[in-house]
Amino acid sequence: MAISSVSVQEHYNYHIIKKFVVMSLIWGLLGMFTGVYIGFELAWPALNMDIAEITFGRLRPVHTTLVIFGFGGSALFATSYYVVQRTCQVRLYSDVMANLTFWGWQAAVALSAIGYMNGYTQSREYAEMVWPVDILIAVVWIIYFLVYVLTVRRRTQPHIYVANWFYIAFILATAILHIFNNIEVPVSLFSLKSYSLHAGVQDAMTQWWYGHNAVGFFLTAAFLGMMYYFVPKQAGRPVYSYRLSIIHFWALIFLYMWVGAHHLHWTALPDWTSTLAATFSILLLLPSWGGMINGIMTLSGAWEKLQTDPVIRFLIVALSFYGMATFEGPLMSLKSVNALSHYTDWTIGHVHSGALGWVAMISIGSFYHLIPRLWETKLWSTRLVFTHFWLATIGIVLYISSMWVAGIGQALMLRGFDEYGNLAYTFVETIEFLFKPYVARGIGGVFFLSGMVLMAINTFMTVRQGYRDRALLDAKLVAKLARA
Amino acid sequence: MSNDKQPHSAQTTGHAWDGDIQEFNNPLPRWWLWGFYATVVFAIVYWILYPAWPIGKTYTKGMFNNIEYTTAQGQHVVTHWNTRAVYEREMQFARQQQAGILKTLDQSSFDDIVKDPQKLGFAKSMAKVLFADNCQACHQAGGAGIVGRYPNLADDDWLWGGSFAQIENTIREGHTGMMPSFKTRLSRAQINAVSEYVLSLSGQASDTDLVKQGQAIFEGEGGCVACHTKAGTGNIAMGSANLTDQIWTIAKVASAKNPQEKRAAVYSVVENGVTRTMPTWKDRLSPTEIKVLALYVHELGGGK
Repeated sequence: MAISSVSVQEHYNYHIIKKFVVMSLIWGLLGMFTGVYIGFELAWPALNMDIAEITFGRLRPVHTTLVIFGFGGSALFATSYYVVQRTCQVRLYSDVMANLTFWGWQAAVALSAIGYMNGYTQSREYAEMVWPVDILIAVVWIIYFLVYVLTVRRRTQPHIYVANWFYIAFILATAILHIFNNIEVPVSLFSLKSYSLHAGVQDAMTQWWYGHNAVGFFLTAAFLGMMYYFVPKQAGRPVYSYRLSIIHFWALIFLYMWVGAHHLHWTALPDWTSTLAATFSILLLLPSWGGMINGIMTLSGAWEKLQTDPVIRFLIVALSFYGMATFEGPLMSLKSVNALSHYTDWTIGHVHSGALGWVAMISIGSFYHLIPRLWETKLWSTRLVFTHFWLATIGIVLYISSMWVAGIGQALMLRGFDEYGNLAYTFVETIEFLFKPYVARGIGGVFFLSGMVLMAINTFMTVRQGYRDRALLDAKLVAKLARA
Repeated sequence: MSNDKQPHSAQTTGHAWDGDIQEFNNPLPRWWLWGFYATVVFAIVYWILYPAWPIGKTYTKGMFNNIEYTTAQGQHVVTHWNTRAVYEREMQFARQQQAGILKTLDQSSFDDIVKDPQKLGFAKSMAKVLFADNCQACHQAGGAGIVGRYPNLADDDWLWGGSFAQIENTIREGHTGMMPSFKTRLSRAQINAVSEYVLSLSGQASDTDLVKQGQAIFEGEGGCVACHTKAGTGNIAMGSANLTDQIWTIAKVASAKNPQEKRAAVYSVVENGVTRTMPTWKDRLSPTEIKVLALYVHELGGGK
């Protein structure tokens, strides 16, 4: 491997991938720590210590931005640049442009987080960035699109591998969503405040068209792209069905765009819009499962690898959580279920079964495959990967189940009536009820976070080992040349 | 990275990416396909029953799914299914369910309600949530209050009267209670003496000489008797406190550790005065709601 991979390092642009991997882990640690902290703030509000910058309202968008865009986004840049080069057998179109995406993206994430802590937000969920950052992201994203598509055009392979379809769909859709959701008029050139071009219910509709497609394209399609490369690669088995991948890709891409309005059931949104969103969410169930089937069935015939290969475990458990979350989502999008689940912690639990179970697990699995190959060495400790797997899994299960209890429990209390037809519970009683599930959720978060700490240690040691191996090899080469 | 590379068989699409990634071309799983068709059928049925597709400026209204309800104003409505109508129908159901008992409560006296377990049960169940949503922020859970700020409603000490009618009036109209500051009217020594006398009214004084001096000021120069009366029992017409019981709503006497601290607690109230406002609720709550709340507060403790 060593001999061929030296040329691999020169043939492909691995440097940019390494940078994104490292930043992904750093944002992941920071973002997940923030998440754990604000989770505990909900149980013990005194933890905000009366410091405005670290109150729940300010840190919450910091958490979501760091984990979605910092951790998830950097993981997507890293893996997409890796996958496009490996499956097209060609170097990235431009190192300079790739570097621009790196620095631009890191700046956008950092500026957003600092801004939120200081109270600068445009109050659109998952799009809280103020307008100058919006512009920065739009520019970065267009460069990303160009690098990616031009690299695919230069490919030496006759066909475009399925993972690239998903990555391209993600990049294209994210550009459209980001730009249209952030059409706004700044108050002045020197003010960070701006007003949305849309108003009222149309504004809400645009926001959730963006919000749900951020889930659909950023957190689903893109990570399916990751799955389509790393699962068959790590399993050493062909993808289960090319036909299924085509059908579920187009079904997914077509259907996702319709469903955003299910975040606005029982509001001022017209009922017909709400119905369409609910039914398209139901239609989306099987196309989502298409990806899960293709991933899990790829492993059929090699199930024994689950016992020995912790990376496969991460990937397969990620797919299982993906299947679970994409079953739960359509269920929650039905108006009658939504009347119960909306505005409760069930939603938070659902998001995290997708975010921790699917997005984080598939990224972690892919990274454990990727990191030793990038730094041309072996993983420092496979045992630690097993430990990480269990910490992550226990953490997710604690998180999701406590949020089911919290959400469904509070919802039932809020709609509970006594024998006289009066409300059975006061609002504050429903809040008191949340305390124990909140503590359990926080503990789940600590489990997941500690797994990430192990991963950071393992990565650091692996990279160090990689540099040592390299130095050793160079020394040998020098000695050989001297002898000759 | 694996050794068991699949040979190019009829089953795969025939390409290999990045060395070893291939694709089988298995047919779509049958259950998957039928599952997808089932969701299509579900969606079509849903579209038939509910408002669904926009057509020009209008939309399909849904069939076989009409909703009938009567508004609070008595207007009868028949409409295609919509979320607002679902809400209205539920509210109508609740109104119908409770109309009888609410009317009875309106017409019953407090004494009647308390004697009738059915009426009392309903009133308490209704007031419990009203209290938590409107009163509890100040008066705390169970009406425990906060010493120094909001009166305790669970004891039998009533600044503005503890009968049903008085409590109802307090909730409906609100009150502002004011004790002036004596900082400029009395010297520090005088305030100190008055404080000791006030403590003596509930049998908590320690310095008899000081009590004597204080009594003279209380009844004379200080003018305390004007509100608190000569006996110190207060006057519910102006919300002035009864000083002869051991209940203190402003001065932190109960938590004081020694005679000096007790006197200091009273001293601070006399020196600084107090102004407290109970807001009026007549614009926010209905007469029936105020009535059941009065009953609930009366039942919290020691209503008179």
